[in-house]
Amino acid sequence: MSVTLYHWEPNANSGKPMLTLAEKGVAYESQYLDLLQFDQHKPAYLAINPDGTIPAMVHGSRVLTESTPMMEYIDDAFPGPPLKPGDPRARWRMRWWMRFFDAYFAPSLSMIGWQIFIGPAVRQRPPEELRAAIDRIPLESRRIAWRKAMFNEFSQEELAESKRRVQFATLALERHLGRFQWIAGDTFSLGDINGFNLGYALPLSQPDNCNDAKTPHIMEWLRRIYERPAARETWSKGRTAMAARIKILER
Amino acid sequence: MLELYTSEPNTFFFKPLIALAEKRATFTPRYFDAAGLEQFAVGIPGDLESSLQLEREGPVLVHDGTVICSSFFMLEYISEALPGPSLIPPDAYDAYRARAWGQYLGASLGSSVPVLGAAKYLRPHLDKLDSAWVNQRIAAIEPVERRSGWLALRNGSYTAAYLQAVNDRLAAPVARVEKALREGPWLAGPAFSVADIDAYPMLCVLPDLAAAMVNRDATPRIADYLERVAARESVREALRTARTDHPERQFVPGVESSRWG
Repeated sequence: MSVTLYHWEPNANSGKPMLTLAEKGVAYESQYLDLLQFDQHKPAYLAINPDGTIPAMVHGSRVLTESTPMMEYIDDAFPGPPLKPGDPRARWRMRWWMRFFDAYFAPSLSMIGWQIFIGPAVRQRPPEELRAAIDRIPLESRRIAWRKAMFNEFSQEELAESKRRVQFATLALERHLGRFQWIAGDTFSLGDINGFNLGYALPLSQPDNCNDAKTPHIMEWLRRIYERPAARETWSKGRTAMAARIKILER
Repeated sequence: MLELYTSEPNTFFFKPLIALAEKRATFTPRYFDAAGLEQFAVGIPGDLESSLQLEREGPVLVHDGTVICSSFFMLEYISEALPGPSLIPPDAYDAYRARAWGQYLGASLGSSVPVLGAAKYLRPHLDKLDSAWVNQRIAAIEPVERRSGWLALRNGSYTAAYLQAVNDRLAAPVARVEKALREGPWLAGPAFSVADIDAYPMLCVLPDLAAAMVNRDATPRIADYLERVAARESVREALRTARTDHPERQFVPGVESSRWG
């Protein structure tokens, strides 16, 4: 059965299955969707994923649209090195941290990213074009997010709260990596793939919160993952300056 | 040694009790009164993860010293760590669907059902307790995200408009579950699984909390599903741990809703 992955840059949710497939050594057909051209809300893609969120993976007749459960599927369904630890305690830890990344850390970090990067990247286009683009978004929650990013409507209060959470989450992660070498414990796992997609550019985007003096364990962990051949291969598929930020991890 | 720190069998607290009963596991229950804020007084074992309170409220499982929290992953842990039948679907795609349900319903039902339950039952209950004592206990809750769930009950945030909006947010997940049950009796594949153990404790209170939306006429498949799950011996056994006459009326503030709107 063939695998097709619909994705944007190796970054955040798109990068999770990309790096997982590369670590497993699974060949896949890449369908690049340009988030800034709203490819993910066009009819061709909505036929695959009616929610219009990226990424989506099609394996034979099976369609997968949730990136973190998708990573577990890739590990379960394909041969290659296991990316989940055998010990149930370590597995639980892996899953707990992935939820912490997905539900707590990433939404705050991405709010800042959308304010700084996504909003300005599309804002110079005609307002009527932007409004039409918003109208095509299937999910109400995504419509709100795009509207706020496009028209610079994040409040100072919510941005300040996102910054506080990013700082708090970074320190929690530093404490965790002071206890364990990898997210799940002793072995590299999906938890590291998830965390790396969230955090690879933190030393660049959050230099005051994430650096060698303040968060040495995070820095070492990011560099260790960056040195893996699968990470090199995956980030070489990036087409924008966003993916190129990974160079900050060169020793 | 296996200990479960838990409260009345409802919402988050209901889930591991069902899974442990499915496994026929022997464990030591450590009961606290969650509506009486006892979880902030008793010495529940903690760790970095549990201190971060990802779900804000919920049970804690302690297995030979390891602290397991966060209800869906606790179910997966129980399935993988204890002897007995697996509760995770054996097929990889069914397992994907179970986890996708856990993530989706955890965020959607997990952030709305507890609000409606707390508005109806927890808020009037707290009003009967000594106000200064309640406020003092809430003021000491860490982290701030967990504290804010309780403060919202006391500071006028629960307006009629807010509760209506929370009720309306239920429409999408309820419709999604109703549609999925067209394909078969369970949420993720041919057998009862962690997806059902996770979903049922949030869905079973909706005929009470959102009666206009979840009822035999509007959602016949959910109505049948609730009866099907309620008939399981594991669910009956979990309910026998109740210490009040109405465990289905004990609520705590749930998962924080998305900050993106």
